[in-house]
Amino acid sequence: MAAKRPVDRPRPTLLIILAAALTLLTLQFRGLQPLDAFQQGVRDIVEPVRSLSDRLTDPVQTAWNGVFGFEALRLENERLEVELARMRGNALTSEADTELLNRLLSEVDIAYSDFDAVVVRILGQPPGNFSSHMIEVDKGTDDGIEEGMAVVTGAGLVGRLEQVDRSRSLVQLATHPDFRVGVRLVTSQDEGLAKGTGTEGILRIESGVRLDAQVDNDEVLVTSGGRSLFPGDIPVGKVLDPDSDADYRRSIIIGLAADLENLSFLKVVLPAEKPEGMR
Amino acid sequence: MSSRLRVVAVLLTALVAQATLLTEIRLQGATVELMMVIAILAGFHGGPERGALVAFFAGLLQDSLLSVPLGLHALVFPPLAVAVSSLEQRMVRSTPATDAVALLLATTAGIFTVAGVGLLFGLSPYDPETLLVRILTAAVMTTAIAAPVNRAVRWAVLGGLPPDIKLRTVGS
Repeated sequence: MAAKRPVDRPRPTLLIILAAALTLLTLQFRGLQPLDAFQQGVRDIVEPVRSLSDRLTDPVQTAWNGVFGFEALRLENERLEVELARMRGNALTSEADTELLNRLLSEVDIAYSDFDAVVVRILGQPPGNFSSHMIEVDKGTDDGIEEGMAVVTGAGLVGRLEQVDRSRSLVQLATHPDFRVGVRLVTSQDEGLAKGTGTEGILRIESGVRLDAQVDNDEVLVTSGGRSLFPGDIPVGKVLDPDSDADYRRSIIIGLAADLENLSFLKVVLPAEKPEGMR
Repeated sequence: MSSRLRVVAVLLTALVAQATLLTEIRLQGATVELMMVIAILAGFHGGPERGALVAFFAGLLQDSLLSVPLGLHALVFPPLAVAVSSLEQRMVRSTPATDAVALLLATTAGIFTVAGVGLLFGLSPYDPETLLVRILTAAVMTTAIAAPVNRAVRWAVLGGLPPDIKLRTVGS
């Protein structure tokens, strides 16, 4: 039970505390660097303990998954066998598609695989419940990566680095509702702004593309580069619904090229020309 | 050890636990809100003023650990602690069951409030499709681990005072 003390002054104390919290929030939104440094400092202090904990709990997690995830693993194996059979059956079609994609990419002078990149390992979801569409990776500023850099797999864009500490980083997945990326339609060369929808594997373009632009199903999209944070020509996905009948505002649905499930490693794309002072 | 040191020790231990072990334990994507339960229990045991102070620092540490603006949890936790303290003083009779239900409701309200305040500040912390399930799961998980946390928080915030001082007088 609470021990009420005669000196308790809850209202003034609460008001002061709320004012302090609001001040901190305001200063943070104004970009006050010491507050970011404070947060990063706390995370860096905790980081060695987290790494140790990760190492210690890895065998436990593996054992847990082996015992309690066996059925899921068996189902996944069956699914993959069916998928493999389907892929073999469609090999010729896939090759044709690949050729078409490569031809389209080469037509616009795309050299996606030429990007310098840092390979990062996925650690899992970040702490807390504020982590929808975010994942944590095992590299940070010590490895030369910075906030805003594009994160990709061999299939294409996965997201961007949202928060970078010394030896860990958070990746905001492309499906996050706050995610924005400038994209270009490879065939029509129209550009637009794609954003995350909060739905797995789906992005949406709601601005930029003209109402009368010819956009086809399965048309390939790449990052537009230019003033965007991302380098240009990173594959993003294919058009699922071009919304050709829109009268006022066009909303083009994009299927993300990169499968965000069952990922273990990602690549962080380094800028082509590093600014002076960077590693 | 002074009460302040005990509070610091409990908060730092909780921060490490939240960052390590509890992050690995997830159901439906939800995890335990350890710092929030400390804030609530600090209000319950320590009274409104001390509860609010402990809750504020618990919120600051939570904000530092997560990828949210500094001050978000620190804004929500203190009123939560004060509200719990106020309700606790008005309860004529409490049992472990009623305390658990009250904690579940407080945690649910707390997570909803954090999500709401986050939205006010332009964050999209939760997937709308799984919002309710995730919040309720997190609240249940948090309530489930409250018993050991309760002992630690009571040890920390009471500051050497006897734990069962009864100031209420029924019928007077």
